[in-house]
Amino acid sequence: MDGGFHRLRVAATRAETERATSLVFEVPEGLREAFRWKAGQHVTLRFHLGGEEVRRPYSISAKPEGGRLRVTVKRHESGLVSNHVNDRVAAGDVVEVMPPFGGFYLDPDPRARRTYYFFGAGSGITPVFAMIGSVLGSEPHSVARLAYGNVDAGSVIFREDLTRMEEGSDGRLLVRHVLSSPSRASSPAPWRRGRVDARCVADFINEHPPYAQDTRYYVCGPGGMNAAVRRALLDIDVPDTRIRMESYGPVEPPDDSLAGVAAEATVRLGGATLTVPVAAGQTVLAATRAADETPPFSCESGVCGACRAMLRRGRVHLRARMALTDADISRGAILTCQALPITPRLTVEYD
Amino acid sequence: MADRRGMPILPVEAYTSRAWFDREQERIFSRTWACAGLAEDVAEPGQYVSVQAGLNNIFIVMGRDRRLRAFHNICRHRGTQLLRAVGKTQRAIVCPYHDWTYDLEGRLVSVPDRERQFPGVDLDCVSLKKASVDLWRGMLWVHPDENAGSIMDWFGEVEPHLGPHEVDELAEYPKGRTEHTIEANWKIVVENYIDGYHLAHLHSGTLGMYDHSRIESGFVGPHFAFWEPLAPDYAKDVEKNSPYPLVIPAEQAGAWVPMLFPGIGLAETESTWSLFHVNPISPDRTRVVIRTRVAAVPYRAFARQAARSRRFWARRVSGKFEGHGDDPMASGDFMAEDIYACEQQQRSLRSPYFEHGPSSEGEAGVREHQELVRRWVEG
Repeated sequence: MDGGFHRLRVAATRAETERATSLVFEVPEGLREAFRWKAGQHVTLRFHLGGEEVRRPYSISAKPEGGRLRVTVKRHESGLVSNHVNDRVAAGDVVEVMPPFGGFYLDPDPRARRTYYFFGAGSGITPVFAMIGSVLGSEPHSVARLAYGNVDAGSVIFREDLTRMEEGSDGRLLVRHVLSSPSRASSPAPWRRGRVDARCVADFINEHPPYAQDTRYYVCGPGGMNAAVRRALLDIDVPDTRIRMESYGPVEPPDDSLAGVAAEATVRLGGATLTVPVAAGQTVLAATRAADETPPFSCESGVCGACRAMLRRGRVHLRARMALTDADISRGAILTCQALPITPRLTVEYD
Repeated sequence: MADRRGMPILPVEAYTSRAWFDREQERIFSRTWACAGLAEDVAEPGQYVSVQAGLNNIFIVMGRDRRLRAFHNICRHRGTQLLRAVGKTQRAIVCPYHDWTYDLEGRLVSVPDRERQFPGVDLDCVSLKKASVDLWRGMLWVHPDENAGSIMDWFGEVEPHLGPHEVDELAEYPKGRTEHTIEANWKIVVENYIDGYHLAHLHSGTLGMYDHSRIESGFVGPHFAFWEPLAPDYAKDVEKNSPYPLVIPAEQAGAWVPMLFPGIGLAETESTWSLFHVNPISPDRTRVVIRTRVAAVPYRAFARQAARSRRFWARRVSGKFEGHGDDPMASGDFMAEDIYACEQQQRSLRSPYFEHGPSSEGEAGVREHQELVRRWVEG
């Protein structure tokens, strides 16, 4: 183990679409406990590419119950890691992997009887695919409904798996494809053209109203889609407490409207209390690491939430806050990788 | 274990006294899932129904997210009933007394003249009290306890003993909705429903299409499960002779007639699906509401099936006795026969000479139901 990372062997790779590849990892017996995950959580991969250390969080795309640790990585135009994984990583390679993490998960309850609505787009299917597997396998009284947005049929990740699962589900899984540019001979024909937007959400729920009345809504797509779906759900009076979201991919540009000031931070970490100088424009995480400490962190882009801490005194500016809800922020949670001090003194406490 | 033949398990007062009735309302009907009608009764956003579940009046309303919410029908101000019977609201629930207004999550959102009438009073955390609600087998269900848990904890075990019907795909037959006020205690009505012994006798002229010698029945948890096959001559050509289009495959034809606790009977047959909802009104009065679903096929399919089967049924159904049509025992209507038998039993309970006789193998369910009621009332 090195900085929380473990070296895992890639047992197999599988091309899911022309632009997405799955990696299945071998988890040795001694690491099984550390690598136990909940459907929807992610792992962080670390590579050294072009002399630089890079880390990326990827959702685990297999259900935990009897599944093998697997991530599914879709290429991004200029994505350093996503292209490396798609082009270079092969079975037998060793990859550095940090154990599963994340607050976007679904814990199946065999006695529960729920209707789950999943709204996903593109590679947002990866955590959702694990969640659907968990519901079908471990919540026998519950049903799952998925509205899944993609460009065209060829870019639908897990298309055949989803069809097979739907057919074998005895009505418990319903999958509806939303394609923005379907080819004429698109097979199967999409439920509708367009995007997973407000109207799509309302139509989907009206056409497939909940049967089990304990409803849950899971949303995983790009930031813009998530915001639109959440707004659409709130507009029809879905309580916010029933909605869970995670976004991925090209993150909205950071909010650089405030620069941050030089500050002295009191940092409580692992039972110790330290005083850490933070330079103007430096994040709390960067300053803590510069002081030779090892605070938790992973994606360094505000997406994964690994570096989360509580702000006990002072104020910070968050350049990005994808991993936090409004409720988290009102309770004082911050993402240290995105936090620039705007008061000269702060107190920060890691969980 | 009680003596299997020991009758009575419940004393006469259990069927006649107000004290027993009140205890049952409190300890049985206020603590179990109550049927609030069929799913289609609340099918559009804003629609609501209210239902009595023991001592609790509860309303169910559908939000624009098409999810059902259930609340105790009591304003948090002075306790006034908020919504009446059935109807349609918008996004708010307004108490008629002082116009206190709640949203569909039950939160108090508006109080008239609030600053002047309630200075310094925190009204922000006042909410309607929630109840549990769910859909199961095409019916609406409520439980007075917000934390009642999954409805499958209550019905999961008996579900495999019910019919193979796809209840949600059937359509209600409006003329099949009937209400009957029966001058008898609710338990007499339930006991009649689960008594397999009387079928071949009281209903000798009306229920002969089923083979009562092959009944399979018994309690599964608090619920009574019951199945019997078709009589051989009816089974032989059921596709032709069924009075309505079949709702299950012919090879599975039969009747599943469970009595779910407390007092929610189903009659799931080869051609119909019915709810037989027993509502206690007073110690000696019960209202039974019957709702019926049939195959969701065009009217002409019913007309054709009726024409095909007419000759078969003309020979099969008759009254138990000869007589006028207004005599229930000559009516050829099994419901009228059952009501007659129940009301006669209730009357006899008042006689000083009344004494329970021995009870049969076919009445085992009756004894077990009495035992069950006793446990709930004493518990």
